[in-house]
Amino acid sequence: MKKVSRRTFFSHSLASLSLPAALSVGKENIRHGTDGSFQTGPEIIDTNVNVFEWPFRKLKYSDTKSLVGKLRLHRIRQAWAGSFEALFHKDVNGVNSRLTEECRKNGDGMMLPFGAVNVAWPGWEEDLRRCHEIYRMPGIRLYPGYQSFDLDHPEFPRLVQLATERGLIIQIVGDMEDSRTQHPIVHVRGVKIEPLIEIVKKNARAKVHLLYWNHKVEGAQLDRLIAETNVLLDTSRIEGTGSVGRLIEGKPWYGSHKPVPVERILFGSHAPYFPVEANILKLFESPLNLQQMQAIMVDNASRLLGQFK
Amino acid sequence: MSDKTSLRPQEFVLNPAHYGVPDLQQLKDLRIWDSHYHGLMTSGNPLKQHKEMMFYVERMGIERVISLDIGGTLKDPLTPQPHDGGLRAILERDKAFISGIIPIDPGFPDESSSKIKDWIQNGPCIGIKYVGGNKLGITCDHPNNDKIIQLAADLAAMIYIHSWLIVGGTPRLPGGSNQPGESTPMNVAALAKRFPNVPIICGHSGGDWELGVKAIRPFENVFLEFSGSDPHSGSVDYAVKELGGARIVWGGHGPGRSFSTELSKVLDASISHSERMKIFGGNYRRLAQSIFRKKGITIQL
Repeated sequence: MKKVSRRTFFSHSLASLSLPAALSVGKENIRHGTDGSFQTGPEIIDTNVNVFEWPFRKLKYSDTKSLVGKLRLHRIRQAWAGSFEALFHKDVNGVNSRLTEECRKNGDGMMLPFGAVNVAWPGWEEDLRRCHEIYRMPGIRLYPGYQSFDLDHPEFPRLVQLATERGLIIQIVGDMEDSRTQHPIVHVRGVKIEPLIEIVKKNARAKVHLLYWNHKVEGAQLDRLIAETNVLLDTSRIEGTGSVGRLIEGKPWYGSHKPVPVERILFGSHAPYFPVEANILKLFESPLNLQQMQAIMVDNASRLLGQFK
Repeated sequence: MSDKTSLRPQEFVLNPAHYGVPDLQQLKDLRIWDSHYHGLMTSGNPLKQHKEMMFYVERMGIERVISLDIGGTLKDPLTPQPHDGGLRAILERDKAFISGIIPIDPGFPDESSSKIKDWIQNGPCIGIKYVGGNKLGITCDHPNNDKIIQLAADLAAMIYIHSWLIVGGTPRLPGGSNQPGESTPMNVAALAKRFPNVPIICGHSGGDWELGVKAIRPFENVFLEFSGSDPHSGSVDYAVKELGGARIVWGGHGPGRSFSTELSKVLDASISHSERMKIFGGNYRRLAQSIFRKKGITIQL
């Protein structure tokens, strides 16, 4: 990797500081390359963004062009995009068509569309086919809490099977927002992840990726997902101080779970709903080594995408 | 791949600034005061947890933490606990970078006042906290609170009120699922109206910040703190627009929340460097300077 002078990135004066002695760290003690430079790290693949309008609030970066600009500021070179329209629209194909066009037209070459499929409504097989054959999407994104189906829905195993046969990535959204702050007229269903384990075990090649999953997966379920399946996790709502590193080490602050291999974790920002900064900074909050950073930032997503036929 | 690292708190393998976020020195330059530190709250051993937390406090360049869990427990704030002595020792030993405020219970104003005298008037603490619910279901605007608030004000103590608007109930409404005694921003506003000269922090922005900000907006003695909820892009922009940057203080809420989550709320905002510094610590320091002076602790505003 190329090296860049560290000096370029400091513009603030140490003279203005008033630090408690115990927390004081001399500039010379901050680790960087032996010649005074940092390695230039990889660009990032963001596996969790959405385009168009969040139904309940005007988001700061809801315009796709401004979102792309924001992502690029944080060295994100590719973003896997779902559509906020998928939460409530019944014309799923219309949602997917507009998503594809938006990514093409305003995505500046970095947005990959992930279409919606809703097994609760008729015609989902055709929506799936179009995602793959017409829109050439690398994957689909399911929002079961909003799309009114549970993962024990009788059609769900068939969706996993058909999507797997097509080589599609299957992203499943646990939550879009904190249930405590939902609009009072909306009561989003509580999705249970448990049925997914046996379904994925029967589809060993399934590429299932959970987004904003944490409220729906408690410790014992997480252990089973890791031990018995190849299910992947995004970072977007991994919460708690130093949480990414502690997830990898199996040292949560509350409850318990076994270590989660870093190969199972993909960067996801949940932008534009969450600030992009939240998940970027999270990687630095944990004392991750270079291999771990590289894996989460790009390698794991790249490997998953590389399997797309 | 190895899943173990041995980095020291101040060691980074990549430069955060390359990714559009502050590096350690830049975080330090922001002079961040974490007004919502839960490192000393646990059902287990708070001292052990605190020690682990300090790794991340140092790594994220936090200048001072203010623990909200001093004395008793959040569920039973007025009953002394075995670790209380250890907490008091930490506050006295590490006063250069750790401060504490004490949970009280408005259902028991006399006992709460005794705790204030013990821990603030005659002890190391700098303020009080209303927690998220209490035994008798007394919110912060109940008349019981006047005695508590007046005593706190006389001591120039910080006043932090946990507030939430948890959606639920029948009919389903914001605040409908609050715990008994868990205050809303509207309760905070009602209290603040009775004490217009007493600064009060409305904690968690009420959870639902769009409503919380509006509830407290007319009361200039009420300050907003955002911690303990998901990071919403644009939330701090909104609060600054409606309240001004001088009425917002910052909290980290670790270990339940990552510092990154809470920092990002402010980093995302399109505000000036000066406003960012006020929110990250300047405003809190201004509010707390009297009590620090009384404690003989010199702080640079």
